[in-house]
Formats: sequence, C-alpha cells, structure tokens
Amino acid sequence: MPSFKKCFNIRSRDFIHAGEASIAVQQLLKQMHVDSNLIRRIAICGYEGEMNVVMHGGDGLFCVEIDKNKIVLNISDDGQGIKDIAKVMEKGFSTATDEYREMGFGAGMGLPNMEKNADNMIIESENENGTTVQMTFFTKSA
Amino acid sequence: MTSEYIVFEEKYCTGCTQCIRACPIKAIRIKNNKAVCITSLCIGCGECIRVCPEGAISSAISDEEPLEKEKINVAIVSPILYAQFPGFMPNDVLLGLKQMGFDHAIDLSYYLEMFQYAVEEFIARNRKTNMAPWPLISPICPVVNQLIAIKYPNLLDHILPLKHPAGLVGNEIRKKLSQEHGVKEEDVILYHITPCFSKVVSDRSGLMAELSYMDKAIGINKIYPGLLQKMEEIKDFELNLFPYEHFSFAPGARGPMWGMSGGEIAGMKLEKVIAVSGFKEIIAYIEKIEMGLLKDMEYIEFRACSEGCLGGPLTAVDRYLAKSTVQKFLKIFGIGRRVQRKKVHMLYEKGWFFSELKPSELADSYYLKQTPLTIEDIKKIENLISVIQGNDCGACGAPDCKTFAEDVARGYADVEDCFKMRQG
Ligand SMILES: Nc1ncnc2c1ncn2[C@@H]1O[C@H](COP(=O)(O)OP(=O)(O)OP(=O)(O)O)[C@@H](O)[C@H]1O
Ligand code: SF4
Ligand SMILES: [Mg+2]
Repeated sequence: MPSFKKCFNIRSRDFIHAGEASIAVQQLLKQMHVDSNLIRRIAICGYEGEMNVVMHGGDGLFCVEIDKNKIVLNISDDGQGIKDIAKVMEKGFSTATDEYREMGFGAGMGLPNMEKNADNMIIESENENGTTVQMTFFTKSA
Repeated sequence: MTSEYIVFEEKYCTGCTQCIRACPIKAIRIKNNKAVCITSLCIGCGECIRVCPEGAISSAISDEEPLEKEKINVAIVSPILYAQFPGFMPNDVLLGLKQMGFDHAIDLSYYLEMFQYAVEEFIARNRKTNMAPWPLISPICPVVNQLIAIKYPNLLDHILPLKHPAGLVGNEIRKKLSQEHGVKEEDVILYHITPCFSKVVSDRSGLMAELSYMDKAIGINKIYPGLLQKMEEIKDFELNLFPYEHFSFAPGARGPMWGMSGGEIAGMKLEKVIAVSGFKEIIAYIEKIEMGLLKDMEYIEFRACSEGCLGGPLTAVDRYLAKSTVQKFLKIFGIGRRVQRKKVHMLYEKGWFFSELKPSELADSYYLKQTPLTIEDIKKIENLISVIQGNDCGACGAPDCKTFAEDVARGYADVEDCFKMRQG
C-alpha cells in the first residue's frame, strides 16, 4: 500500500507557531485510531524536534510519512548544524541561552527523550550545514 | 433532532451556520438548510445554545413534570444557583426551593469542601507514590472529562478518580432521608439543580457514574423564574416560620466561589496549581500535557465554560453579574474552612471519595466515536483540500473545508455539496 506523506514549514525563532506541526500530526494519527500510547511517544518526539529547530536550528521542514507498518518523522533545518553529535546526545548537555532557559527550555533532555521514545533515530549534520533528525516508529511488531 | 444534551428545533432554524462554527468538536452540519447534529460526538458543552440567534437550540433536560406530592422531593443545590440572585442570600434561595414544594433543599458547599480536602490528600500521597502522572486533572467538569475521553484517551489517567461532590451527597442523603421519613429509598427523589449537563454524562457513559445517584437534573435556567417568584413572596414572610434545618446553607463563601474559574483550587494547600477556563484555552493546555509538558504542575482545574461554572450553559444570569454576586458573598462570609480534617481523613481511608471506575479504565469503551480514517482516506482528504482551495465559507454545511473533505471521505457528504467543486 502506498504511503501518505505531508510536510509542514518550521520557521526559525518563531515561538508563536512552534508546536503546531506536531499537533497537526497528532490529530491526524488520532483520526486514524493509531494506538494512543504510540501517539503520545510521537507527540513528545515531534514537539522536542520542532522546538530544537525553532531554538537552535534554522528554517526547516517537519515531515511525517505514514504507511502500514511504520510512521516516520523527518525534521530538517538549514541552520548552524551540530559539530559533535555524541556530545549533544548526552543527557543535560545544552547550549540554550539564558533567555531560552527562562522560557523553560534548556534542560538538555530533548534529544535523549527523542531517542528514548523513538524506535529508531538517526541524526545527520554537518557543521554549518543544517541538521536532519529522522525518527521511526513501528505501528505493528513485525 | 436531539442529542442527549441538546434539542434542535427545525422550525426556528434558519441555517445561518453560526452553530456549525461554534461547535468545538465540529459535530454540527447544515443539511437542507437546517442544523443537524452528529449526536454521537456531542459532549454537551452548550456553545451552540449560546450562539444561536434564533433560539432554535435548547437544553434537552427538562423539569416539565411537576413534583410528585407523595414522594420526598429533594433539591441538591449547586452553589452556582445562589449567584443568580444578586438581591438575596443563599438561605433565601434554599427557602424559596422549599416554597416551590421541595421537602429538602441541600446545599452542596460542605461537600465541595470535603472534596477539596480529598484532592489535597490524593496529591500529597501521589507525591510519594507517583502512581498517577503529573499534572493531575480535576474530575469536576463533565465536558472536560468527555473531551479527554473522546479526543485524548491516553490522558485519562491524569484525571483524579474522585467522585463529584454531588455524587458524594446523593448516596448519603437518600439513605438518611428514607430513614428519617420512614419511606423506601426509591421514594426519595433527588433533583440535581445544575449549571450544566453533568448528570447526563453519567447516564450516557461510565464517566462520573456517581451522578446517577441523582434521579433527575434541573437546569438552573429552568427553575429560575419560578424560584425567583417564590423568593419575592418570602421576603414578606416571617422568617422564623421556617425551622432551622441541618442541611441549610452554612455560611461560608467557599461554595459560591466554586463557580468562578479558580474557585475549586482557591484556598487549597497546594502551590503548583493552575486554573484554566474556556474551551480554546483548555485545549491548548491539554495539548501541552500530551506533548509531555507541564509535568512540574501538580493539579489543573479545567473548566470548559469561560470564567468557570458561573458561565455554564444552563445558568440564568450573565456570568459577570453572577461573579459580582459571589464577590459580595466573599466579603460577607469569608472563605474559612468548616470541614474537620479528621473526619475527612477517616472517610478517605475508607475509600468513600473514590469513583467506582477509574477514568482510565474507560479508555476503550468511551472514545472516538468516529470510524477510523485509513491511509487511503487521508490521501483523498489532502487531495480534496488542495483542489478546493477554499476559505472555509461553510456553504457546504460543514464548518470548514478540512471537515468537509473528511465528511466526503467518510461518505457523509457529496463532493458536489461544495459550490467550487460544482463549478468544476
Ligand atoms: N536542530 C539543531 N540545530 C543545531 N543544534 C541543535 C539542534 N538540535 C539540538 N541542537 C544542539 O543540541 C543540544 C541539545 O539538544 P536537546 O534538545 O537535547 O537540549 P536543549 O534543546 O538544549 O534543551 P531541552 O530540549 O531540554 O529544552 C542543544 O542545546 C543544541 O546545542
Ligand atoms: S465549566 Fe462548570 S458549568 Fe461548564 S460544563 Fe464544566 S462543570 Fe459544567
Ligand atoms: Mg531541545
């Protein structure tokens, strides 16, 4: 069966619309009666990924691809990129500014949480050349 | 055309589309120029009643039948009722109800306070056990409960499994009064005088099941005119004609305050609490919880009606006027506590406060009443939306183009219902 794909734009530093793409995806999955626990995991990952683009990345694209056995979130941006991927995956590592910390971000838990909640996560980034985070969720145990 | 909550009277409906846009769960359509409700989706928020300019939409709960003389008729009074009468005191309201023929008029305030203690207790224990996920959600508002059950079932375990205060009373009072009057329990008829459809929810689902202890519900707006008339009459009466009664209003503004947004959490010994009211606002917060945020909050008082229950769909006076009346009570009575902690503690240990069914146990039986969309469906929907390129004009009878496209995919609507598609 062919898959369904949809993308949303994310704008750098746009906190007013931040989170909307994850919410839209969540609503879609609910209408499809995807298991609610799975939706919760996807919601957490989507939101953290979306916020990272808004805060640390550049303008970006939030894509969801749904097929019979899996749901894939692909979140990419054209921002500053990540130099040391192993480093940013550490719990508590954050480069968030004081301003962001005051807004309640910057615990350095976003990426670790995404990794924990996704069945599979791949980060690709070249310094100065943007970042792509791809997370896969299996809908049925194959 | 009726849902369990709402009656649509076709003869008054002009097909103006106000209600289809107001419905927060998009359960109304215009078909053949008349509003039609997808009843299985209706959660009784009352938004459509509020916006209909023709008065074609009204509440489905009624008090048309007169009280049965040979029974013991008991009014269980939500303190929101007091706020409807600016010139009167709570006791006048209770006396007025007796003049209307109720054998007893029971003020809920005391039970609300007991409930508040139970919430504090639940939260204190949860800090140690972490059995329920933070933030916990108030179980009081029926619209919120159903919204979560239908659209966010994975958050049901955030809802406190405590009984609604009216349910706490119901069980007790029936026994007590049947003994007192020497009648059978079923001859004690409990009327929930209410600002909203909370009782109906218990009748139609396992949610808030304790409210089915009430035999009937009467909307405040239905009882208002008759009650006001009786109260005016009493003004000329000798007050001491009425014997003191154990259940009459015990002075304190906690009960009346309950109707304002923030009234439930006011004076609770909790710090990480927040009160949110109004449908749009609560949805924004619920979505945050779903995305794993707000974990540092302990308790959220959600009320679907903006400003709280004083703005309930079945109230009689404007919510801001009602609020000013409550503020007057606050000045007169203060918000001291009357309930003894010890007694509540004992009842809590006995399990008296707990609902028979935890909300989370309902996740499977009470949720999304619509058939699931398939991958094919959502492709069709996306495609149709991009072909229509509409501006949510509503002429097709759906609130917006996306909902229309979904209706088409589900077979509820025909592509040709959209005038843009008819033009080709
Ligand atoms: N899209 C991105 N572009 C550039 N840097 C990023 C991007 N996403 C994450 N990073 C870097 O990785 C670090 C860790 O990210 P993570 O999401 O784990 O924590 P955080 O965003 O700093 O704080 P939190 O998510 O807990 O609010 C960030 O501080 C940032 O330096
Ligand atoms: S806010 Fe109060 S009146 Fe309105 S639906 Fe909820 S409980 Fe009822
Ligand atoms: Mg982050």
